[in-house]
Amino acid sequence: MKKHLIASVFVSGVAMATGAAAQEKVVNVYNWSDYIDESILEDFTKETGIKVKYDVFDSNELLETKLLAGKTGYDVVVPSGNFLGRQIQTGVFTPLDKSKLPNLKYMWPVVTDILAKYDPGNKYSVNYMWGTTGIGYNVAKVKERIPDAPLDSWKLALDPEYVLKLKDCGVMMLDAPDEIVPAVMNYLGIDPDSKKPEDLKKAAEYFKKIRPAIRKFHSSEYINALANGDVCLVIGWSGDIKQAASRAEEKNKTVTDPKKKVEIGYIIPKEGAYMFFDNFVIPKDAKNVEEAYAFINYMMKPEVIAKASNYVKYPNGNLESQKYVDKAVLEDKSVYPSLETMKKLYVISPFDQKSQRVLTQVWRDMKRK
Amino acid sequence: MAKTLGPVRRKFSPWNDPTAKPLIEFRNVVKRFGDFTAVDDVSLGIYEREFFALLGPSGCGKTTLMRMLAGFEHPSEGEIRLAGASLAGKQPYERPVNMMFQSYALFPHMSVEKNIAFGLVMDKMPKGEIETRVQEMLKLVKLEKFAKRKPHQLSGGQRQRVALARSLAKRPKVLLLDEPLGALDKKLREETQFELMDLQQELGMTFLIVTHDQEEAMTVADRIAVMDHGKLIQVAGPSEIYEQPNSRYVADFIGDINIVEGRVTAIDGGLIRMEAAAPRVSIVMEDDAATSVGATAWMAVRPEKVRISHDAPIETGVNAVHGEVWDIGYIGDTSVYHVKLDDGGTFRAAVANVSRTVERPIGWDDRVWLTWSKTAGVVLTA
Amino acid sequence: MSTEKSRSGRFLLVGIPYAWMLVFFLVPFLIVAKISLSTSVMALPPYAPVVESLTDLWRKIGEFSFFNYLRLVQESIYVESYLSSLWIAFSSTVIMLFIAYPLAYGMARAPKAWRPTLLMLVILPFWTSFLIRVYAWIGILADEGLLNWLLVSLRVVDEPITFLATQRAVYIGIIYSYLPFMVLPLYSSLEKMDETLLEAAQDLGCTSFQAFWRVTFPLSIPGVIAGSFLVFIPAVGEFVIPDLLGGSDTVMIGKTLWEEFFNNRDWPAASAVAITLLLLLVVPIVIFQNAQAKAQEAGR
Repeated sequence: MKKHLIASVFVSGVAMATGAAAQEKVVNVYNWSDYIDESILEDFTKETGIKVKYDVFDSNELLETKLLAGKTGYDVVVPSGNFLGRQIQTGVFTPLDKSKLPNLKYMWPVVTDILAKYDPGNKYSVNYMWGTTGIGYNVAKVKERIPDAPLDSWKLALDPEYVLKLKDCGVMMLDAPDEIVPAVMNYLGIDPDSKKPEDLKKAAEYFKKIRPAIRKFHSSEYINALANGDVCLVIGWSGDIKQAASRAEEKNKTVTDPKKKVEIGYIIPKEGAYMFFDNFVIPKDAKNVEEAYAFINYMMKPEVIAKASNYVKYPNGNLESQKYVDKAVLEDKSVYPSLETMKKLYVISPFDQKSQRVLTQVWRDMKRK
Repeated sequence: MAKTLGPVRRKFSPWNDPTAKPLIEFRNVVKRFGDFTAVDDVSLGIYEREFFALLGPSGCGKTTLMRMLAGFEHPSEGEIRLAGASLAGKQPYERPVNMMFQSYALFPHMSVEKNIAFGLVMDKMPKGEIETRVQEMLKLVKLEKFAKRKPHQLSGGQRQRVALARSLAKRPKVLLLDEPLGALDKKLREETQFELMDLQQELGMTFLIVTHDQEEAMTVADRIAVMDHGKLIQVAGPSEIYEQPNSRYVADFIGDINIVEGRVTAIDGGLIRMEAAAPRVSIVMEDDAATSVGATAWMAVRPEKVRISHDAPIETGVNAVHGEVWDIGYIGDTSVYHVKLDDGGTFRAAVANVSRTVERPIGWDDRVWLTWSKTAGVVLTA
Repeated sequence: MSTEKSRSGRFLLVGIPYAWMLVFFLVPFLIVAKISLSTSVMALPPYAPVVESLTDLWRKIGEFSFFNYLRLVQESIYVESYLSSLWIAFSSTVIMLFIAYPLAYGMARAPKAWRPTLLMLVILPFWTSFLIRVYAWIGILADEGLLNWLLVSLRVVDEPITFLATQRAVYIGIIYSYLPFMVLPLYSSLEKMDETLLEAAQDLGCTSFQAFWRVTFPLSIPGVIAGSFLVFIPAVGEFVIPDLLGGSDTVMIGKTLWEEFFNNRDWPAASAVAITLLLLLVVPIVIFQNAQAKAQEAGR
């Protein structure tokens, strides 16, 4: 999930400098990039008088390294599920005082139950958004090359018979070993949550067959590449692919030649897909704890979180908010999957030190040609 | 040092021999840099085994003339010939000429012996021969013990010797020396001058030296060319240059001299009579200068040829001026008296300090007479 | 009194660089060295033992291990990364030498009035952030980028060449970014060279070409060495350029260190990689300098 490491390092430096500013009420938030409607932050300040210093990152690894180094200067951070799990073990977060979060009552039990796998008893975290890791594709280009394309299956992206046919029009994948490797294992019928070195290596071995088709591993460039028609297939995050789709639609309005119009589809494969959760937590050394509670509680207001989902096209973990989410978003099964589909989604438990090392090595081999 | 004074300069004057052919010939050589004419129509012959000096102030073109011979510059007009063949188009490395640079230009990354061997290596001389030659050269310049040193580990004098040895190692037909002693102190310079002369005698080579130091030129050279503004003013042996300068420029440049401007009143059987206004004096000189009655001419007389006395001469009207001692320069072997003349101007007289005490020494503010003989000076027309 | 004062003043003056080295080099080095001897754990901070004081250090000394260093030899990826980094740095240094030398030579032989301008042109890229310049290369090297557009429109090639995400792009990036550090020391050593040395060489029988090899080049060797060190050392540890321009096939130690630190969150292993890299670079430099000092001594 490493994107533009350097940019986020620069940005985060600012937060350290401003963290201990004057007496005015401030909350320092560190969230994923392109992950909020900024007007929500303004509304929050208007309502509470608390200023928001908002910084962004784009890799869990970066966030984790900062957390482990300590003294981040942030009051609210947003790690993803499996990272959250092991970070809780190190004791970097404050257990939540739920009396300060009355809006918890709106949360969606389906989501909080799965999240409990990482955060037993939901003691430390509140879900912000979640999503799936699936396949995004260029409808016209895929149909042209594979008329009988299996548009409901991982086969399209992981079976050499299909994916090698897409080599010329471009295939990209997330540079996220903890998501791609389980996806391959899942496709091969291995438990996606397996941490056994031999299972991980099996995935790597299989991956060699499709490696020639892949142009690049990157966790953010694929949005534009897909929208522009530079690539025709990606394994990526649902919301990002939806963003690519809407960018392509915007662009189509200015294009007259129907052949140059780009239509993007998103598949949650029937074999099951990875379900990820990005969650609010409060670091142990946070300076503005009260303001952090106020911020998290505000974000759990159904109208507010609905506004966020409408903007970023990711589903959220707030059941009540579904009343306020745009119909187009709510009814889009690739955003809010059906409950039936949701049952097939899987989550991944944290990698421990040893298996993480194997994963890194396996991933390095997989990326090499 | 035992033989530094070397053999007395021998009778050697091929330039007076109409059948002798010069080794180096400059034929109407002109060198221009943009608008500036550095060398202006120079024709000159230098003979084999001659020690020749190019003398002049800086910017007079002497270095340019030498660099053209070495091949670093090329004449704008005219040609240079060496041993009867034109040098036109020949690169520096194709000329049997070596140069010792003013800055010595020793290769700092090479030891003394490597520096000396450099030219021999470039000539692909067999290794054994190179070694012998380098040893010979080291011995010649008395640097045997310093063979392995790098230039920066040597004194200025030692470096000068290395540079000399390096430029001699290839046994060039002509050795060019560009202000070779300029960086040495006076005493070392004088010693080295004699060593250079010995060396030139011993090796029987032709040396061309560029210098701005007239004493140096006078000491070492068989002939001297005095240059000014790119032109040759006078080419002659040291004594002739000194005693028979052909112009006020040469007279003034070489040594100390008194010059009096006057009008020629009579030319009579080898005697030239002149009248001068400042100082007011009648002059009679034994000279055959090409001048005519009524023309302006200059009488030049060296201070050591002027007699200084408290007493008036017998014939006060001719070749005699009087004034007041204004300054005395005690140089050791001589004293130079600067006399303020009553008619304006100054005049100098040099007196050898022969005895330790003088009965009645001439002192400051004394009134004195200065006289000179008909043969003491020369008449100059330019 | 005044000598006393000037002595303490001199002490201060001499002391500042030492203090600087101590605070900004030696202390961080020791901290990293210490972490490299620890073991990775899931805790805050993510390694053990944590040493709080010097007496603490003594008590916990038994817990330190060389395991992380052992791993560097056991797992092939580290050896491969070191070798690959050294090779990439070495070959780009050699290529840079070939590009920078004529450049520096031309500058040093240019008319005096031009030299400040030429020097300025070499330094000019520094006015833009290094990162932005590397990003700019992404635009230039892309399949649809400036370079391919040029090559295709000049009909040098029919199909765009893939530069991005290849070793070629890494070389281009490194050479572009570090070239000035090669040019400047070369220029300064060539510029101060006495031109009469060349005349002397020619006078003694060298053609211009021979004079260059026998005089100019040997005398510029200090510049060659300084420039080579200046580009080789940072190139070995380079991370940004292979990360942005290189592909998955470019294995460099900077990237391996990044993975160790961020993906494996194994600070001790990452520290061991860093310390080893430092020793790998410092030891040959020290040996080389000793050899040079001895060579000078021998010349005396």
